[in-house]
Amino acid sequence: MEMALLYIAGALMMGLGAVGAAVGIGILGGKFLEGAARQPELIPLLRTQFFIVMGLVDAVPMIGVGLGLYVLFAVA
Amino acid sequence: MRKGHRKPGVHTRIALQQFRKVFLIQVVSLVIIAGVLLLHSLSAAWSSLCGGLIFLLPSYVFVYRALVVQQTKSTPGAVIRQLYTSEIWKMGLSIALFIAVFILIQPLNPFSLFGTYIWLQLTGFIAQLRLNNSFLKL
Repeated sequence: MEMALLYIAGALMMGLGAVGAAVGIGILGGKFLEGAARQPELIPLLRTQFFIVMGLVDAVPMIGVGLGLYVLFAVA
Repeated sequence: MRKGHRKPGVHTRIALQQFRKVFLIQVVSLVIIAGVLLLHSLSAAWSSLCGGLIFLLPSYVFVYRALVVQQTKSTPGAVIRQLYTSEIWKMGLSIALFIAVFILIQPLNPFSLFGTYIWLQLTGFIAQLRLNNSFLKL
């Protein structure tokens, strides 16, 4: 029973982290395409801003994934 | 420069310069944290070093694939494809390194590993926001 709970906890941590990252990066990509369609001459500037914000968006989900992997591989 | 690749533009060069500064800050803070934890115990220092490398290696690969390797086309679709591919590489490498550390490194101090990992994330977050003037109005 304890093992099953640990596996569920690890899966929830990784799954919810993945959902958060997917929503954030999906919105980011959509906004980038919107901006590029409105002003194509700004694509190089938007590209670097997109790169920076993408690095920031995936920070917290990766911590969740790391903790989930710790639960799965080291605790369970 | 490799064939089929073009010179990086002004914005890319600025972003690369900023990344170099942030990377240097993160490496220095990792060395300081590992040195301080070495006074506590060897496993804590080793774990913090592993946590820092788990963060720094995928970040470096992400920046290399996203900014240094320039595509010949700069259409919105090509840019999105390149950045999403870089992100997938970063996530995959992070997960592989986490699994390798949890399986191979014994004994492991999870508090120093995750503490260093989270600290480097925060350092990168704050340094990136401070270096980018366009985010200061947020």
